[in-house]
Amino acid sequence: MLYNEAHMKRNTFYILAGIVGLALVGIFWLSVEIHNPTLITVAFIAGIVLLYWLRTRISDRIEDERTILISQKSAMRTIEVFWVVFFAISLGGVVLGLGAPGFPKPPHRPPDEGLIPLGHLGFMQMTLLCLMIFLYVGFRMYYARQYGEWDTDEEQD
Amino acid sequence: MKNRIKVFRAMHDLTQENLANALGVTRQTILAIEKGKYDPSLDLAFKIARYFNVSIEEVFSYEGQPPGS
Repeated sequence: MLYNEAHMKRNTFYILAGIVGLALVGIFWLSVEIHNPTLITVAFIAGIVLLYWLRTRISDRIEDERTILISQKSAMRTIEVFWVVFFAISLGGVVLGLGAPGFPKPPHRPPDEGLIPLGHLGFMQMTLLCLMIFLYVGFRMYYARQYGEWDTDEEQD
Repeated sequence: MKNRIKVFRAMHDLTQENLANALGVTRQTILAIEKGKYDPSLDLAFKIARYFNVSIEEVFSYEGQPPGS
């Protein structure tokens, strides 16, 4: 019972999030060392679930209708920009695939050089995800500023 | 939209933090409303008016153009 009612301050959450992040970086390199992609995949999902759960334990109020509006607008703008970039890059990928020699490939034929190797695909996906995160953070800062997130007044500590 | 939240807060000797806690929002939201950076939802506007025991028009006034003009 006491366990369920345990709450923490926002800063404690940020410290725990940092620890989880560092642990995930360590697990990532361990996965690379032992050539086990499942390890980092499972660890990442577990880490995110843990962070979401920890977030519900924060005692300070961090979310209300204004912050939800900021999140909604940022997410909407991110998707608006991201889908164009993603679609354009995907179109490029399709062109590479269609333009590869011997496409569509007959059975037992070795992979064509024109196609993107699986490892490179992972890097491309990570680049796109990073772009998405940067877009979201940028839009979030813009809307947070617009809706007075960092305004101060005489009551400010 | 203009509002008189700061005036009502002063009349009731309330800090932004006190009012925010009573209404279930962050202090920053009260500050944003007072500064006119954020227009609250109807729900929150009614909560604010009800908290000060006044009508919503006494707290908020709309200064936009009337529809059709």
